[in-house]
Amino acid sequence: MSFDLMVIGAGPAGLSAAAEAASHGLKVAVFDENALPGGQLFKQIHKFFGSKEHKAKMRGIDIGIELLEETDSLGVKVFLNSPVVGLYKNREIVVRQKETVRHFKADSIIVATGASENLLPFDGWTLPGVMGAGAAQTMMNINRVKPGNRVLMLGSGNVGLVVGFQLLQAGCELVAIADAAPRIGGYGVHASKLTRTGVPFYLSHTIMRAEGRENVTGVVIGQVDENWQHIPDTEKHFEVDTICLAVGLSPSAQLLKMAGCKMSQNGTPVCDKSGETSLYNIFAAGDVSGIEEASSAMIEGRISAAAAAKKLGFISEKSFQKRSGELDAALSELRQGMFAPQNRNAPLEKTDEGFNISKSLLKKGYITEEEISEYPGFKPGAGIRPVIECTQNIPCDPCRDICPKGCIKVENIVSLPVYDENTNCTGCGLCVAACPGQAIFLTDDRPGKVEEGKVAITIPYEFLPLPEKVGPGMAYDRSGAPLCPAYVSKIQESAFLGKTPLVTFVVPKNMAMRARFWKAV
Amino acid sequence: MTDRQYIIGEFSPASDDDLIICRCEEITKGEIRRAVFDGMFNICEVRRLLRCGMGLCQGLTCGRLVKSVIAGEIGLSATALEDATARAPMRPTEMFIFAKEVTDE
Ligand SMILES: Cc1cc2nc3c(=O)[nH]c(=O)nc-3n(C[C@H](O)[C@H](O)[C@H](O)COP(=O)(O)OP(=O)(O)OC[C@H]3O[C@@H](n4cnc5c(N)ncnc54)[C@H](O)[C@@H]3O)c2cc1C
Ligand code: SF4
Ligand code: SF4
Repeated sequence: MSFDLMVIGAGPAGLSAAAEAASHGLKVAVFDENALPGGQLFKQIHKFFGSKEHKAKMRGIDIGIELLEETDSLGVKVFLNSPVVGLYKNREIVVRQKETVRHFKADSIIVATGASENLLPFDGWTLPGVMGAGAAQTMMNINRVKPGNRVLMLGSGNVGLVVGFQLLQAGCELVAIADAAPRIGGYGVHASKLTRTGVPFYLSHTIMRAEGRENVTGVVIGQVDENWQHIPDTEKHFEVDTICLAVGLSPSAQLLKMAGCKMSQNGTPVCDKSGETSLYNIFAAGDVSGIEEASSAMIEGRISAAAAAKKLGFISEKSFQKRSGELDAALSELRQGMFAPQNRNAPLEKTDEGFNISKSLLKKGYITEEEISEYPGFKPGAGIRPVIECTQNIPCDPCRDICPKGCIKVENIVSLPVYDENTNCTGCGLCVAACPGQAIFLTDDRPGKVEEGKVAITIPYEFLPLPEKVGPGMAYDRSGAPLCPAYVSKIQESAFLGKTPLVTFVVPKNMAMRARFWKAV
Repeated sequence: MTDRQYIIGEFSPASDDDLIICRCEEITKGEIRRAVFDGMFNICEVRRLLRCGMGLCQGLTCGRLVKSVIAGEIGLSATALEDATARAPMRPTEMFIFAKEVTDE
């Protein structure tokens, strides 16, 4: 069987490539070894960062559903349960299907095989209960199985932070997040979501051993110095049944290697701007060509597909230039900010605007009260208003776009959001629900709405069960420490809020800028 | 690294030699280290001797780990070592399935 384009891997990169190519008239087939398409996307139940064009504030799973509808409607053929076991430079692939192997040929091939998780050997790492964070995510969000009851997460990059939060959502207890690096690797807003629920961070700590005979029953971590050497007598012991490792991903580039593509030392294929490898009409897109994000993987897939369409004569040079110009612009937006690939090892001192970056946020996962008052989204005051605790330059701006009253300004995609006090916030809560970092809160002390001397605080609350209205509870501060009794006055759930329920609780007025979480007692 | 004359000294046992590096084939760090001291300075040779990376995961989990053990013994950074040769079949495939190859398409 032959096609104009074959795509290997039905993740965000592969599906986007297929949709783009089919939209230009190519006959396209996609192969994936899994029983379901989507790659990592269907595990991503959280909202994505970025801008409108990157599908920001949509959950990964909903982006996946949209992509599948697109490929379906364009007549893309998707072969599932079809591991590609061989790739050859004449653009032929060998695929295992049921109990046979079949050959397929195409004029162009896009390899979008994604990445696999790195693991780390330590004493006890082969015990049942030690698993990759991605594996835990697959268990929870695809197979609906709780990975364990008490979990330690090793790795504080975005994967560790996101999966850590999802473990809490699944009802697991997250006893700690440890990382050998001296600072939290992922976004501050992701870390803060965990800290305020009471999860502690141990930076400059690595795993010493897992304990247990048949399965994990405990874990010991210990502190390391600047040279990653263990500091004696710093061991900490936790009783856990699960240890999740979120220590990085490696591109799954074996097929490209087999075909004879030129590879770089870090294990990725050497590609030109459109993702074409050293082999004619064989492209690489998504994590396989360099670990990034689903948002960028989708654009990379489209860029490669547009290039393939041009090379095969389906679109003119001129329309290719136009299309790839748009896509390049969208991609470079995502590659900005302090967490962008080119800034990975830069010290985090000041934001682009010149604000100090919270040291406490980088080390402990929360911003101190002294630090927070510095930022432009944080303007305490009377009435109802948003308090925006988003303090690092990350590519994200849905808070600006969603506010019907124009209360929030984000100058360019990575700028810190600014609350404009000369606007009239109605308290609709859309910004609170839309923010993928869950970094926006509302404070309300309007007379007649809220008792004298009290303030109502609205927080995003993505946990079940939802609080009982007027049930007793406790307010917690950013560090996860209990503050004062608080009762819930309102719970909002609606389709407009993108499945992020809002919980409003009432505390004394002097807690307005401190209380950031609520738990039942 | 192909220079077998390169002297890396005498093998001396280490406290973590029992640590399993390749889970599928149950190969320990000590076995890999010993192979390096026996003159096998690259992943392909170690793989042929010990079968590490040839089990169910096909090196997806242990590939990096084996590489870093070898590199550590020779005193190189792991990126300086070549990855194992990639060959079809990329995923474990039984021979009877290969025997039923469809060739007339
Ligand atoms: C916990 C976690 C949280 C994340 N959160 C975000 C986020 O908030 N925002 C964001 O933008 N990104 C996020 N990402 C990153 C994002 O998921 C990945 O960057 C993205 O999925 C990469 O897309 P891809 O298409 O390259 O690869 P994948 O999604 O990995 O898809 C590759 C597909 O190819 C298949 N495949 C591989 N080899 C073969 C073969 N030989 N034959 C057949 N099929 C094969 C795989 O089974 C898979 O289905 C997150 C990742 C993780 C792990
Ligand atoms: S609550 Fe509504 S009106 Fe107020 S800032 Fe948020 S989105 Fe705008
Ligand atoms: S506050 Fe705005 S820019 Fe910051 S994470 Fe939330 S939506 Fe994105």
